[in-house]
Amino acid sequence: MKQKTVDYLLRNQSKTPSQWREEAEWRRENAAWLQYSQRIAVLLLAYMKAENLTQQGMADRLHCTQQYVSKILKGRENLTLEVVANIERALNIQVINL
Amino acid sequence: MEFDKILTNNNLWAVRYDNETDNVLQQLFSQWSDPEWLMNFFCDNMSDLEAYFKITDVNQAIYDTIDDSNELQCLILDLSPDSNLDKLFRPLENNRTQEMLLGREKARLARNRSHASWLRLYAIKLEPGCYIITGGAIKLTRTMQEREHTLRELNNMELVRNLLLQEGAIDADGFTDYLSETNEDYLYETENS
Repeated sequence: MKQKTVDYLLRNQSKTPSQWREEAEWRRENAAWLQYSQRIAVLLLAYMKAENLTQQGMADRLHCTQQYVSKILKGRENLTLEVVANIERALNIQVINL
Repeated sequence: MEFDKILTNNNLWAVRYDNETDNVLQQLFSQWSDPEWLMNFFCDNMSDLEAYFKITDVNQAIYDTIDDSNELQCLILDLSPDSNLDKLFRPLENNRTQEMLLGREKARLARNRSHASWLRLYAIKLEPGCYIITGGAIKLTRTMQEREHTLRELNNMELVRNLLLQEGAIDADGFTDYLSETNEDYLYETENS
């Protein structure tokens, strides 16, 4: 019964390969540190909302570029402890609670 | 509209809509793991989160979404050609008991933490065990008609369904035969039970 539909789908397959599996596997392999990165992003987003800050305003406080803030907010940056410490100092917030 | 094969045995597909660079699975799992996208979504839909799920902490809603997204993503990643997709998808209409041609289906996590998962994948069923994923949503309301973003998913399912019918990609006679066989089996089982 499905053969006719499958033939149609095969004729109308995307011309370029999908990245979904590659990206999903990357997220799974890196899930442990991504969780920290995503939680830091959420903390910063909440801070920006509370302070009514734009990404540029946040960049000014962190002494970095707006592009770098944008990357951090995506929750995909493997931040160093130095960067985390700089964020804590610049914003006067606690990110790591050991 | 184009289609990406998700399983090598042709039993699972995902739609790639016009002007999109990738299919709906890539888009959904990318959005559901993006804190910025999720923050905007939950801030825009805060009243639904409070009204239907009694949750007021947006940060917690984001963490829960990412956790559920990771789990759902693993479920799809780990599907094999032998997997029974009929266990993953079920009818969109909770009261539908009979097969329908190109039925609308949904997949969700069965897990319940403090609240049910609000993530949904939507699909069209080609036949038992064979599906095309048309999209997905963070469903915070009782019905999909209540909000624009879920209504859009209903429209997308209809768009894909209509395309397959218009393009003559469906073996309607085969479906009728299949239904008759299913009904005969059902009658036989009922009469002999």
